[in-house]
Amino acid sequence: MTDATLPAALRIAPLVEGDVSLGGLDDTVRTWSEKTPPRSWYIAITITSLVALGGFAAIGYMLYTGIGVLGNNLPVVWGFLIINFVFWVGIGHAGTLISVILYLFRQRWRNAISRIAEATTVFAFMCAMIFPAIHVGRPWLPYWLIPYPNQRGMWVNFRSPLIWDVFAVLTYFSVSLMFWYLGLIPDLATLRSTTKSRFKRVVFRLLSLGWVGNAWHWLQYEKAYLLLAGLTTVLALSVHSIVSMDFASSMVPGWHMTIFPPYFVVGAAFSGFAGVVLVFAFVRTAMHLEEYVTPRHMDLLNRMVLFLSCVMAYAYLMEGFTAWYSADPYVKYVFATYVFGGQWWAGWLTITLNCILPQLLWFPRLRRSVPIMVIVSAGVTLGMWMERYTIIVLSLKRDYLPSSWGGYLPTPVDWAILIGSVGFFLTMLLLFLRKLPVIAAWEVKPDIVYYQKQRTEAGHV
Amino acid sequence: MAEPRVTDADLQRPPTLPVEGDLVSRRRFLGLVGASAALAATAACEAPPADTIVPYTRKPDDVIPGVANYYASTYQEGVVAYGVLVKAREGRPIHIDGNDEHPVFRGKTSIRTQAEILGLYDPERLREPLVSGRSAGWDAADARIVPALRAAADARKPVLLLTPAVISPTRAAVIAELQKVVPGLRHVAWEPALGAGDQSASCFDPAVSPAYRFERASVIAAFDADFLGAMGNAVAAIGGFAQHRRPAGAGDAMSRLYAIESGMSLTGSKSDVRIPLRPSGAAPVAFAVAGALHTRHGRALPAGFAAELLAPFTLDAVASRYRLDGRALDALVDDLAAASKRSLVLAGPSLPPEAHAAVALLNAMLGTEGFTVDAAFAVDSPSVATPADMTQLARDLDAGTYAAAIIWDTNPSYDASGGGAFDAALARVPFKVRLALRADETADRCDVVLPVNHWLESWNDFEPSRDLLSLQQPLIRPLYDTRQGEEILLGWVKALGGRVTSDYRAYLMMRWERAVYRKGTPASFQKFWMTAVHDGVLRRDAEARPPRTVRADRIVDAARRVARAADPSGMELLIAPDIRLWDGRYANIGWLQELPEPVTKVTWGNVLALSPADAGRRRLNDGDLVTVTVGARSVTLPVLVQPGQAEGTACTALGFGRAGGVAEGQGVNVFPLVAADGSPPFWRAAVQLTRAAGRRPLARSQLEFSLHDRDVVRLWSLDEYARNAGPVGDDQPLATLNPPQDWPEHKWGMAIDLSACVGCAGCQIACQSENNIPVVGPEQVARGRIMHWLRNDVYYVGAEDNPQVAHEPMLCQQCDDAPCEPVCPVAATVHSEDGLNEQMYNRCIGVRYCAANCPYMVRRFNFFDYTSTMTDPLDLAFNPEVTVRPRGVMEKCTFCVQRIRNGVQVARDEGRPVADGDITPACAAACPADAIVFGDLKDPNSRVSKLARSDRGFKVLRELGTRPAITYMAELKNPVGAAVERIDD
Repeated sequence: MTDATLPAALRIAPLVEGDVSLGGLDDTVRTWSEKTPPRSWYIAITITSLVALGGFAAIGYMLYTGIGVLGNNLPVVWGFLIINFVFWVGIGHAGTLISVILYLFRQRWRNAISRIAEATTVFAFMCAMIFPAIHVGRPWLPYWLIPYPNQRGMWVNFRSPLIWDVFAVLTYFSVSLMFWYLGLIPDLATLRSTTKSRFKRVVFRLLSLGWVGNAWHWLQYEKAYLLLAGLTTVLALSVHSIVSMDFASSMVPGWHMTIFPPYFVVGAAFSGFAGVVLVFAFVRTAMHLEEYVTPRHMDLLNRMVLFLSCVMAYAYLMEGFTAWYSADPYVKYVFATYVFGGQWWAGWLTITLNCILPQLLWFPRLRRSVPIMVIVSAGVTLGMWMERYTIIVLSLKRDYLPSSWGGYLPTPVDWAILIGSVGFFLTMLLLFLRKLPVIAAWEVKPDIVYYQKQRTEAGHV
Repeated sequence: MAEPRVTDADLQRPPTLPVEGDLVSRRRFLGLVGASAALAATAACEAPPADTIVPYTRKPDDVIPGVANYYASTYQEGVVAYGVLVKAREGRPIHIDGNDEHPVFRGKTSIRTQAEILGLYDPERLREPLVSGRSAGWDAADARIVPALRAAADARKPVLLLTPAVISPTRAAVIAELQKVVPGLRHVAWEPALGAGDQSASCFDPAVSPAYRFERASVIAAFDADFLGAMGNAVAAIGGFAQHRRPAGAGDAMSRLYAIESGMSLTGSKSDVRIPLRPSGAAPVAFAVAGALHTRHGRALPAGFAAELLAPFTLDAVASRYRLDGRALDALVDDLAAASKRSLVLAGPSLPPEAHAAVALLNAMLGTEGFTVDAAFAVDSPSVATPADMTQLARDLDAGTYAAAIIWDTNPSYDASGGGAFDAALARVPFKVRLALRADETADRCDVVLPVNHWLESWNDFEPSRDLLSLQQPLIRPLYDTRQGEEILLGWVKALGGRVTSDYRAYLMMRWERAVYRKGTPASFQKFWMTAVHDGVLRRDAEARPPRTVRADRIVDAARRVARAADPSGMELLIAPDIRLWDGRYANIGWLQELPEPVTKVTWGNVLALSPADAGRRRLNDGDLVTVTVGARSVTLPVLVQPGQAEGTACTALGFGRAGGVAEGQGVNVFPLVAADGSPPFWRAAVQLTRAAGRRPLARSQLEFSLHDRDVVRLWSLDEYARNAGPVGDDQPLATLNPPQDWPEHKWGMAIDLSACVGCAGCQIACQSENNIPVVGPEQVARGRIMHWLRNDVYYVGAEDNPQVAHEPMLCQQCDDAPCEPVCPVAATVHSEDGLNEQMYNRCIGVRYCAANCPYMVRRFNFFDYTSTMTDPLDLAFNPEVTVRPRGVMEKCTFCVQRIRNGVQVARDEGRPVADGDITPACAAACPADAIVFGDLKDPNSRVSKLARSDRGFKVLRELGTRPAITYMAELKNPVGAAVERIDD
């Protein structure tokens, strides 16, 4: 039975559009690393790398002077740097969830977007990992967080969630990097075989690890890919759970919540999906990928954003309910300050951007509208940053003893580091888009074959 | 009778006393240490030097490296001579406590005295004489001064000598010596913080200032009298007051304190009944209370004071006139009548003289003289100029007849009212000499500036009362090329032909041998002198004065004036010395600048305190600038909205707005507002407030003063105490998954009696001095980075216009289940087996998780490198037993672990168990109320164990299961209606 005989409702919509061919895909993927990029790429990378440099300069200044140049104080001992850390770890969930979990669920629409999503993960984690290292008071010593036999005769404190954090983040980053690289191997081999530059050929030869694409290779490869996908899935759930335990296992009112691990994972996936939508909204047209990343892809991504937004709304409600039901005056007070305190706007911004704005996506037309999806996903990205701000800063500001309540005012250094991290992320992304295959060609090709077959059967030649 | 003479021959003898500074000075010691370090560093590459490196082979008898020495001394501030005990390590004074041999101070001293350690090591101290602003030697300076004095003496022209109050008999003798050779010498003593002096004294005959015996007072009425704060000898007052604030158990009575005041003072914050009242109302209210005592309780009026004089003042009339709580006034009258001589009525130095007269009347009617008001051994009041006298002096100087002016220590260019006028007059004096510790406003205007010794480098004696002499001895050889002021004067006397020694120590000893030592006593003078120097105080037999008699005529005048006076229009302003900077002399001491004012918690500056109603009417908020205008003078101050401030009044503090050093730009000099025309200097009426442009954000260490209904501090009336009394609650331990802890030897703990604690912050400075706590500056304080390990929290309970106030010292609670410990990723904070929560600085990497997880928020973080940038020689003030923390590490209270380890070690060396009281942390040692008790909780009979079982004990945030080692005892208030403690004779 062919699809043509199925009722329309049961037909699988094609995952590619227009006049696509296997060779055409190879060309699209390959040419980006071969040809001179457009002017806009140069302008973009100039801006982003300058911003990144500004951020690194701010970090350098901070390392030299002391973290007093930040807005941190007592009681708000953690500020922008930890917010940024949680934020980037969250963005870093996109790749995994899209690529791995959808892979395990055999959602073929992931194929066209998995590569960029995974790259997003890797770069977001590179951003995230800057922060724990530099936020410590003595930034020349964070290697003490790693347990290894040493002449100091000291060991780490395994009871500390920060140690769990170190393991979770490093593990997740290395596995994500491996997964991304594993996916790249067949495409790197294609580049190796087709590039005209001697230098690139050497580099790609090394990177593609002797891939020739024979049946045995594919057999091993698919097995490895599946196993790694399984492993990464577990990590994707664990890493943000563990990040959340930095907060949940403390006794700060507003942090000490059992709901935090699942809530943080959902929040991470949410911001990750929004981040990927944001990237694709630009990359899709800028790199002429419309045929492979179709409006339907965007629709599906936006549905995920909408779904996760609803879960977030539920999480917020549950969190609020828990605070109220706990009858704990300290927790109740902190939650009241989230929405009625001096910085009520932080709480309301979080709720509006994360729960209310994405409700636009209930409308199919809006799900496919690029301006709307840019607004919504940019809003979610900001909203999730605000959520971490609310949790971290507003909770610390109002802890147990009223006498120690304080305020928090970020400094220009705080802002420079935050914006610089965005610049660093975008710079890495731009370099990736320029030099590596942005679509997992080997995964999309079966979709093209299937699409061509459908078209043939429908009478188009 | 002639003063004893000491000849130079006397000085050829070797010193007879083991003066510590003579045997091993700090310089010599550091020199040796430096040389040994250099030797160690170079030993590997070079042959050692052939000779001269002799590391302590001839060790001074009384210096053991690593072991502290303690020396008694005395510090004068105003007319108070604080008996102190100074701790020295290897010749460096590093910590000041009260002298425990001293009958008045009992081992306690003021915050300002404690902070004088930094005064000694002030980097801005003058290091050599200056002539016309240029460095010069002593000879060059003398070459300018001596001829000028000789010319003045020959021409019989007047010479001004301006000094602080002279309460030292020997200093007075030195001034008399100078007077002999410079006959035109006019000595004026100037104490700007004392204002018009002790005005209540003038209502008695003889007009001497009594000592107030708070330990004998069961009912105290304080009219704008902040006796627990900046007024008089607060150290003694707190000690006496606190004795009757700590009932042993429910049902016990305690004393009752009425505070009738305009601003929220420390005293008002501790009062049982606080009646906000404008200063102009103090005299009418006090007279009305006197009237009620007479009519209701039949208290006799003093002879010569007719009852009808009190007719205009009835309780109802004053209550409605000033909108006061009539019930409180009735209770005050009844309590005073019941307590009689066990009561004590005080008027603050800022109040007008009429209020002092009314209070003198009350004390006379109650018969407090000889019981709570004790003038038996009062010395004759030293003559001190008032601001009006200074105005007259400026006029005299302006006449141009003065040949020279010698200004010793006191700083008139800053603090003489209408500083401009005094400066202009001073400019008319052809030759001006300044004797000062550091270059200041006055020194800038003088021809010759002579650096004087710090008091820790000086000899002196003081006579606080006729039965007591208090000695000052140097702890260290002068750090710089300085001389003691008395020595400088003696040098001039000698140069002008007087037959004296210029060695002040010898002079002092000779005078004592003649005037103090009684011949025929068994001990030789040497022995007598050594004992006196060792003890720091000498009790003498003296004949008690007969009780003072009240001068009814003065009170009659006052009552007539008050009856005629209309209410002053506009705002009333009350000015008082700052509890930290006092008259501004401590402005360069960072510890004091950064010490939060005990009630307002403002650091690094003064404010204009306004009532919430007045501020609301003018739409003013904290930090808004207002210009305060009184007559022709005005200053611009930031506003502080102060709960409890009486409506229609404003308060501000002296001492800020000094020039130079760390004081530069901190706060505003309000001396220009002090009345210099003979009217009450510190009370100004018809004050205009106008909003000025801009704001000056206040650097406060505490921003939230409401309890938000949280059970973090307990403020109970005696009734509530009776209802709630019970053990701390540890009889029902909270469920825990942690295994029970076992303390093999000791379990250190602390008990803090909030009822005894008055919030004076003495503990804070002691902690800062003991634990090398850095000063971070106003910007960092405003950003919430103050470093105090121990802070004093203040909470307001009740209505904003007159709230009750709770004070709560907050420091590391040394929790058994400390939340900071499990979260540290590098195990830098761990538990010791004697129950301490230890912080290891060199292990800490500064993730600050511990601080986030500390519910008491007592951990402090080094956001910057606060110490290595310190100016030389401030580093000499460091306690060598406490690590100086680098940038990026967390720190907190350790229960003074260095003292604990030392105490345990000493006991072990002596082969005995640690006794209760062997170990005292700096805060407990300094607490003038003895509100802090430290000890071993494992010993059920230790003081701390007993207090931990107190029926008003509680643990802060007990419900969190942190199991703190500190037990607080509820603060008690004795409101109208409850019983008042009966104090035996």
